[in-house]
This record gives sequence, structure tokens and C-alpha cells, in this order.
Amino acid sequence: MKKVVTVAIGRKSFVIDEDAYQKLSLYLSKFRERTKMGHSSSDVMEDLEQRIAELFTEEMKSHIEVINLSMVNRVIAQLGMPDGSSAEDDFSAEEEYQVRQPVRRFYRDPDDKRIGGVCSGLAHYFNIDVVLLRVLFVVTLIMGGMGFWTYIIIWIIVPLAKSATQKCEMRGLPVTAENLRRFSTYSK
Amino acid sequence: MNEINTDNIKSQMRKGVLEYCILSILSNNDAYASSLIVELKEAKMIVVEGTLYPLLTRQKNQGLLSYRWEESQQGPPRKYYSITDKGKELLAEMDSAWKEIVETIALLRHKKQ
Repeated sequence: MKKVVTVAIGRKSFVIDEDAYQKLSLYLSKFRERTKMGHSSSDVMEDLEQRIAELFTEEMKSHIEVINLSMVNRVIAQLGMPDGSSAEDDFSAEEEYQVRQPVRRFYRDPDDKRIGGVCSGLAHYFNIDVVLLRVLFVVTLIMGGMGFWTYIIIWIIVPLAKSATQKCEMRGLPVTAENLRRFSTYSK
Repeated sequence: MNEINTDNIKSQMRKGVLEYCILSILSNNDAYASSLIVELKEAKMIVVEGTLYPLLTRQKNQGLLSYRWEESQQGPPRKYYSITDKGKELLAEMDSAWKEIVETIALLRHKKQ
């Protein structure tokens, strides 16, 4: 199962896989950038999009209803870049960037805290149950002073995850528009 | 030393006459981008299609081409390009320039032997 996007290309609407959409829109912005024609670029893009729409329509004749990544790759290979080079050189670096593993950073969690968000932050970082950690901390607190000081030191040193980006990183999620929206304070 | 890149020289030569080719095709009959592409590909003038679109727009901005939208049976309207009077003038000039080049090359080749 895949998520799809509906887009208008060259005055026609198409249903397109999300990954294919990402690639196509990256290609279009690269093409526009490389055209270097100022405001006339939109005329060029209009012609280009019309051609893309035509090629997609050809593909649809074989009763495929959703544009996928391999179709987009075929079209991009056929169209190339305005200076006549193939688009591949431009993409290899970009793709590497996209498949890069999301980073996981240690932050204190402001949305799930009893005292300073230290336990929930640790739980996110090591991917363990926050309740277990809290119990552990309380036990060490009763047993001796170590748990208390550890907590205080972490509280001081580790920053609170304030922005949506930081909240993504705290959970080890990729920083995508969708994830950012999930943790954005404006949506609540 | 770099090796002599034959393909590169050839593609440079083609690039130089691509605008001339577009005007030539359009002087015969109006065409929309895709049919231009088919003709240019058959003539091995272009490899990737992307090169054509900026050229079309540039020639249009220079007043050499004009375009109109035309209804089509297979979907949305198509953008048809046609050559203007200014374009025809330039084409005539290019025709004579081309002839000159061909003659010059022939002359040089002949002299050498």
C-alpha cells in the first residue's frame, strides 16, 4: 500500500505515488534552476510540463491508473536537462541525501514530563518504556543519593526538545513535512 | 594530454545549428513541441528533449516564433509554434550563411589535397 498525490501537470490531473511525486518535483525545480532564463522560465516549464503530461498519458493507455517511480524515472531520462546533459548526475547526490538515516538525539521531552522530562527523554533515546525508567529512578533514590544527582545533572546538561525538528530527532524520526506537522505546536 | 573527444565536437556542431533546424522545420509547417521533438530526434539533432524547450522560449522572446493554443482530440489543448516574418528573414540569412560554410569547407578540403 502506498500513499498517492493528485497533481495537475500541463492542464491535466494525474494520480501519482508519493515517492514518484517527490522525485518529479525535485526534477522540475532542478530543471527550472538550470534553465537560467529569469521570468521566461515559466514559459519553458509550461512546455516541459505539457510534454510530461503527454508522456504520462501514453503510459496510462496500458490501464495503469497511478504514476509510479519507474515511469517518472523513464520520463526524466528522456527529457534530461536544458543544457543537454542527463539528469542522473544531479540526482545521485540528492538521493543519497534523501535516504540518509534519521538522526536520534537525546533531548528532554516537554510533552511527557513529571519533573524535568529526563526519564521520557531517556526512554525515547533508548526506545524503552518510560514507566520502567521512572520506577528505576525512584528505587535508586530510595537506595542512595546516586539517582538524585544523576537526574539533576542530566536535567541541567540536556536541552529540552522545543522545536518540532528537535521533537522528531528525539524520537529518531526523519524530519519530513508530515512529521513536523505532527509535533508542531500550532496544530494543537 | 586529453584525448580528442569526437562525440563532444559533434554535439557542439549540432548545438550550433539546432536553432537553424527549428526554424527550418517550422518554415514547412506549424508544429507543437512534441512533433518538433520527433523530427529532431529522427534527424539525430537532439539526444535529450530538455534542450529544446529553452530554445523555443528564447526564439519566441526574440520574435522569431509565435504560438497559439489549438484544441486536440486526445486531451488538453496543444501549443502550436509557427514562424514569424522576422523568423523567416533570419532563416534566409542562415541559409546563405550555411551555404557559405559548406562551400568554405569544400574549398579548404580541396586545397589540402
